[in-house]
Amino acid sequence: MPTIQNLDDAAAVIIDAQQNNHRLEVRGLGTKAALGNQPDYDDCLDVSAMQGIIDYQPEELVLTVRAGTALSVIEAELAKANQMLAFEPADLSGILASKSTGTIGGVLATNLSGPRRLTAGAARDFLLGFDAVSGRGERFKSGGRVMKNVTGYDLSKLICGSYGTLAVIDEVTIKTLPRPETSLSLLFGCDDMTSAVAQIADIFASPHEPGAAAILPQSIAAAAGLDMAAAMIVVIRLEGIALSVEDRVAHFRQMGQRDTGRVLGTLPQAASESLWARIRDVDLLAHAGGDIWKLSCAPASAPAIVAAMEQSFETAYYADWAGGLLWFAGPSGTEFGTALRAALMAHGGGHAQLLCDRAMSKNSVPVFQPLPPAQASLTRRVKAAFDPLGVLNFGRMHNGM
Amino acid sequence: MQMPEPDQQIIARRESICAALAKLVPAGSVVSSKEGRRAYDADGLSAYRQLPMAVILPETVEQLAAVMKYCHAEGIKVVPRGAGTSLSGGALPLADAVLIGLGKFNRILEIDYANRCVVAQPGVTNLAITHAVQDHGFYYAPDPSSQIACSVGGNVAENSGGVHCLKYGLTTNNLLGIELVTIEGDVLRLGGKHLDSGDYDLMGVMTGSEGLLGIVSEVTLRILQKPATQRALLVGFDDTGAAATAVGDVIGAGIIPAGMEMMDGLAINAAEDFVHAGYPRDAAALIIVELDGPEVEVNALIDRVAGIMNKAGASSIKISTSEEERNLFWAGRKSAFPAVGRISPDYLCMDGTIPRRRLPDMMVLMATLSQKYGLRVANVFHAGDGNLHPLILFDANQPGELQRAEDFGADILRGCVEMGGVLTGEHGVGVEKRDLMPIQFTEDDMKQQQRLKCAFDANQLLNPGKVFPHLHRCAELGRLHVHKGKMPFPDLPRF
Repeated sequence: MPTIQNLDDAAAVIIDAQQNNHRLEVRGLGTKAALGNQPDYDDCLDVSAMQGIIDYQPEELVLTVRAGTALSVIEAELAKANQMLAFEPADLSGILASKSTGTIGGVLATNLSGPRRLTAGAARDFLLGFDAVSGRGERFKSGGRVMKNVTGYDLSKLICGSYGTLAVIDEVTIKTLPRPETSLSLLFGCDDMTSAVAQIADIFASPHEPGAAAILPQSIAAAAGLDMAAAMIVVIRLEGIALSVEDRVAHFRQMGQRDTGRVLGTLPQAASESLWARIRDVDLLAHAGGDIWKLSCAPASAPAIVAAMEQSFETAYYADWAGGLLWFAGPSGTEFGTALRAALMAHGGGHAQLLCDRAMSKNSVPVFQPLPPAQASLTRRVKAAFDPLGVLNFGRMHNGM
Repeated sequence: MQMPEPDQQIIARRESICAALAKLVPAGSVVSSKEGRRAYDADGLSAYRQLPMAVILPETVEQLAAVMKYCHAEGIKVVPRGAGTSLSGGALPLADAVLIGLGKFNRILEIDYANRCVVAQPGVTNLAITHAVQDHGFYYAPDPSSQIACSVGGNVAENSGGVHCLKYGLTTNNLLGIELVTIEGDVLRLGGKHLDSGDYDLMGVMTGSEGLLGIVSEVTLRILQKPATQRALLVGFDDTGAAATAVGDVIGAGIIPAGMEMMDGLAINAAEDFVHAGYPRDAAALIIVELDGPEVEVNALIDRVAGIMNKAGASSIKISTSEEERNLFWAGRKSAFPAVGRISPDYLCMDGTIPRRRLPDMMVLMATLSQKYGLRVANVFHAGDGNLHPLILFDANQPGELQRAEDFGADILRGCVEMGGVLTGEHGVGVEKRDLMPIQFTEDDMKQQQRLKCAFDANQLLNPGKVFPHLHRCAELGRLHVHKGKMPFPDLPRF
């Protein structure tokens, strides 16, 4: 298993693989190895030695770091300057049974974004530039180390979420943001999913700057220690300076008394942070049986999708991103995933990904949303533009590419 | 500026091409007369002009797809055009290309408050999106200075920014979905009303691709609630370096203003002469800081920012106490370009970005270059994100001055890259900065970008001659020196 120190090493390994008809698995700490398809690879390209913070300028909001650097190292460094990765990458080690939160490269490769994605953006919105070796074995760079840049194609977007199928990245430049001074959560009780989504829509139609919004069914909330007398608990996170947070809580309290939901109470900072970490990490479904699915949908479609699934299956679920991100635990096998995708298609479309495959369902159901024909052929051509021989993580996202 | 050699065989077929195109669109949608085409011979970069071979104005996505399919089959080049406000020549016509105008795609298709988005055709203006939703307190955040005229399709093509993108991001951060027509006439829908898809982010690479990868035929844009309060500070400094440091101090203190703009002495005085905004004429630098959000928060942060500015050595501070006053603070900044236009017959507007801490070095460089070229330069910056807009003053009627101004501009951009920055922060490469690309990118960097282009447009018919200084054939770009490799994509052309 070649462990590489830099991109020149990577290029040599890739060219060697080309010569020998080998397919490589690109691997950092291996914490996300369970994500995506699991084809057989001839060899593994270990990138975990490409570590270290290269440059961090808090007042420029810019961090340059090598892709094999552990996420925990980066978060600790940012915390010293009271800053953060605003896209709030999840720690999936609980549900994937892995040892750590992995590397920043892995976070970017999977575009892993947490609750603040709703208002602050995804990992792909924060990657400013990178340097890499393509599957052709050639070095290239894209983007830059500044926040505002439209020079050339924005390959940062393409690299994020490409699961290592296009290139091996080394130095990445990421936009950082200040950590909010305080945060807390406001809890609303609603009678059902439809009124929960409506309650959130009202909240987002106000100028009081909600920062994150989740919907927890009563049983899920109870397991998280929120014993509340409501079928659905809407959790709204507010962040900012203390004065502002207090002021906004007061506004929302009035609103709750006017509309579909009712205010159940607030969670102070520590309890709020711990709840949002569990929402972020899908910890709330860790003990549910079966497979775990991640659905990205139009927020207002969430109630219909949930209703369709509850009608036919025993399922546990909750929503983040104001309803736009649905986490489902359901029976393993093709039936559940097929039904999920059908419900999604019937209600505005989106993307359903099999995230946690406890019974190896992915042998029979595509992990990623199947692509429409024109998009599939364009996707194949894009893959070929970076990796014409299919050396890097071949088949990890879609069969045959 | 050398554009690709026009294909005389295509030009010779002009009349039959126009006749064939006319069958694909409603009557009157093909502009073939010289006078008619004249209206499309330039965009916002008016120093460059070229009459297009023909102009076609489709009305529906079906017509647009049919036109693309025809051009693809016939090997005819295509230049897309939104509202024609590009400052980098992105919509500059080619003598042997059909110019496709999206002006008739001018309808807002859906306003969806439940999902907080607007679905619109690409020819709708940026400001029209905000106008359509403002009664419900919403707005569309990216606000390029041309927002009254520029189209949202063009915003996607150029990944447009604005003065508020420090806090609210560029177009790419506010775009949920697009419908895309490829050069082959395929129609793809990418994204939608949901946030992230788990596919390759093709919408992300389309954004800012300057019309080289496809034509956007529909957009879905995220809308936000308008902040409850907006207030601004107007801060003068005797020293540009101290002003630059102060900007970093604000962000270092954990405050992300909605906007943070800087102007230098020449720009301050030009603006003050023009709109009488009460700017400090003797200041070397002026900073406008705008904060938005809940009223108590804005009021508290305004005080903090004022404190930081004082500590950094501000020579004057004014805080807006009314909307009129806030608008007046902005009036000078917003009219900076026309104001400079009053003190010089012509000017060139540059658009590099630097790491903000290098601003004092950049000011020294510009002063040196100003002497070297014998031309004045006025500066306005999006200081928060390090995006510079130096305005180089010249007189096109003086022989050689345009060339001198362009050389001056190129030297500034070279300096931006040397200081760790980039050639363009928001205006795009287009034709204007095309030949400067090798300053920032190696040949290999550009070849990889062009391979992506080949995946979308293998015959390189879409907007050729823009962005990349050297055109390589896709077959040449795809060549790989492997002797016994297997071919997992046997059905694909190699590029």
